[in-house]
Amino acid sequence: MIITQFVILGAALFALGVYGVLSRRNAVLVLLSVELMLAAVNINLVAFDAFVADRIAGGQIFALFIIAVAAAEVGIGLAIVLLIFRNRRSANVDELDLLKL
Amino acid sequence: MTLADYLPIALMFVLGVGFASVAMYFSWRIAPKKPTPEKLAPYECGIVPLQEPAQRFPVKFYMVAMLFVIFDVEIIFLFAWAVRFDQFGWAGIAAVGIFVALLIETLVYVWKRGALDWNVARRARYRRVVAPERVQEEAA
Amino acid sequence: MIDYHALAPELLLAGTVLAVLTVDLLRVEKYWVAVVGLFGLFLSFIPVLTLGFCDTLTFCEDTGTRFLFGESYAVDSFSLVLKALFLGSAFVAVLLSVGYLESDRFWQGEFYFLMLSSVLGAVVMASSRDLVTIFVALELVTGPTFLMAGWRKGDPRSNEAMLKFFIIGVLSAALLLFGMSLVYGTTGELTFAGIRAEAAGIRGGDLEALFTVGVLFTLLGFAFKVSAVPFHFWTPDTYEGSPTPVTAYLSVVSKTAGFVGLLAICYLAFRDATFLWGPALWVLAAASMTVGNLAALRQTNIVRLLGYSSIAQGGFILVPFGAAVAAGVTDVQLEEAFFATVTYLLIYAFMNLGAFAVIIAGGNRLRSAEIGDWAGMFGYAPGLATMLAVFFFSLAGIPPLAGWFAKFVMFRAVLSVGGGWAAALAIIAAVNSVIAFVYYAKVVKSAFMDPAPEHVAVADLARMPTVPSLQFALVLTVAGVIVLGIFPGIIAEIGELTKTFASGF
Repeated sequence: MIITQFVILGAALFALGVYGVLSRRNAVLVLLSVELMLAAVNINLVAFDAFVADRIAGGQIFALFIIAVAAAEVGIGLAIVLLIFRNRRSANVDELDLLKL
Repeated sequence: MTLADYLPIALMFVLGVGFASVAMYFSWRIAPKKPTPEKLAPYECGIVPLQEPAQRFPVKFYMVAMLFVIFDVEIIFLFAWAVRFDQFGWAGIAAVGIFVALLIETLVYVWKRGALDWNVARRARYRRVVAPERVQEEAA
Repeated sequence: MIDYHALAPELLLAGTVLAVLTVDLLRVEKYWVAVVGLFGLFLSFIPVLTLGFCDTLTFCEDTGTRFLFGESYAVDSFSLVLKALFLGSAFVAVLLSVGYLESDRFWQGEFYFLMLSSVLGAVVMASSRDLVTIFVALELVTGPTFLMAGWRKGDPRSNEAMLKFFIIGVLSAALLLFGMSLVYGTTGELTFAGIRAEAAGIRGGDLEALFTVGVLFTLLGFAFKVSAVPFHFWTPDTYEGSPTPVTAYLSVVSKTAGFVGLLAICYLAFRDATFLWGPALWVLAAASMTVGNLAALRQTNIVRLLGYSSIAQGGFILVPFGAAVAAGVTDVQLEEAFFATVTYLLIYAFMNLGAFAVIIAGGNRLRSAEIGDWAGMFGYAPGLATMLAVFFFSLAGIPPLAGWFAKFVMFRAVLSVGGGWAAALAIIAAVNSVIAFVYYAKVVKSAFMDPAPEHVAVADLARMPTVPSLQFALVLTVAGVIVLGIFPGIIAEIGELTKTFASGF
């Protein structure tokens, strides 16, 4: 069945995104990796939508919502990165260590 | 499936943690330690940079980028309506009208706040009029 | 035709959000923005009441559970109780914020706009009955809180709190979505009712593995939101770094919204998959209680202590979920577990908001969150110290304060299930209640018995008044904790209403 390839693609892209989030130092690149994860989810949803032949195209509508919410998240994320860059002259995640156990 | 069925997962977890810690322990024990400044420096190709790279983009680009991303993508909801607009009738048009009106209210807000102003000096003047306390805050 | 009565709370709240944004543009004292917000919250509370008491009102046609937009949105007694809780907690949270924001040069108008948007998300969450709605509601709850967490723009600690919260937040949203996409793929449905119907056929089939992964990822996403151990590491940092009223909001409204989503997903969509989520949540509950309490024992900052305490309280709230681990759990037992969770959430909101109100009031005077500086508070601020004792003992579960009833129904739910695993969870919870008592009592003892430290100017502090809005919040929460503790019948009555939800429809 053709669906398998799409699911594997989605899972691979998702794993790549998780790796990026965990390994990247720069906050902007972390943000990019999260976008990659959301793209993987969208691939999954659209592929499944074609597969289950949903009457109301639920998967595609869900994907639209995810795209819109992702844009809002990017807006918030850029604002945060900008603020931190202004204050610290660096957008590296691992330099933020004021709050510790 | 009960908790007992999770045993393989737990075993897998223990094995994973165990393997990683054993490997790390032995590499720490066995490896010779003769640090020199060169060895302690983070590895990077090429010449060590002597100064910070060139100045980055001014803030106003980010501001426009953020607003663009949001306003651009919100239009996506019109697609869902557009493919079946003939079946939704006037109720659909009303709903889309409300949606666009909300976007316009946001745009007016952003405009009033001076975020669209390319000219930074003009933006500052706007703020002195619209929100005097903010100018003081930024000066502080 | 759309039932506008059922949607009235959301519509009024959305109108308030826009009104707040507009008032902020006008050249008026920013104080009025908060007043408009409070008025809007009060206004949206009215239709919740008319919907709740529909059967006794003449103008209202009682139709039982009202479904809107197919089966995607439901207004039933469960969602109404939770909506009332969200609106009430938000009311108190705005009261807590007013004095704090006035005290410094904060950007006030936007703050209330963001907080009310987040509340709107929580209110929608209570009614969501499909994956898309619940996702959008969850993002609406968390999105604004990222910005609120960093409201002290110049403070690097606040910046750090914001960035950590944001990264963990979007990561968990992505995990949740991945899980949801797999659930959608295997069942072909987005509504909870549809998923439940389809899920029965999946067991033992080809798609079972994929479905399992989907369910677990979905739970994982919610575990981040409710800061269950081991997905809690952002919580103490964010709580400490954020402005304290925002911390109060995060630990009550945002967290409760996460639990409401978890309740709806577990009890409606994955109702027949208790064998999947039962064990997972059993582990999360046990770990959250133990780690949260043990870490709280060694905290010296009072906000951080409450951060860990709220992780532990989250564990207690998860306990009834974990009780479903037992094989062959019956509908009646699930109802009991559901009742216990809702009851705990209702009482938790009162006592945690109250505890934060005390901390904000004390912090205003002392300008410090170190527990050592709080010693001897009874000497110069006896009222505040007494309220500190009330809320902390309530959190510890001492009768006659409301906390005891929450713990009581929680234990009753677990023990009614019976069996080895449920009993083990009950024992872990009991041990943890004792540990929790130690650190709550330590703070109270220090405030009452120890002498005030040298550098605290006792005479000045004694004369310092508490802001009126804060006084109002304190009175509301103290009254709630004491009245509900002495007459737990009120909460039991409200909780009883929601039980029908758990047995499905």
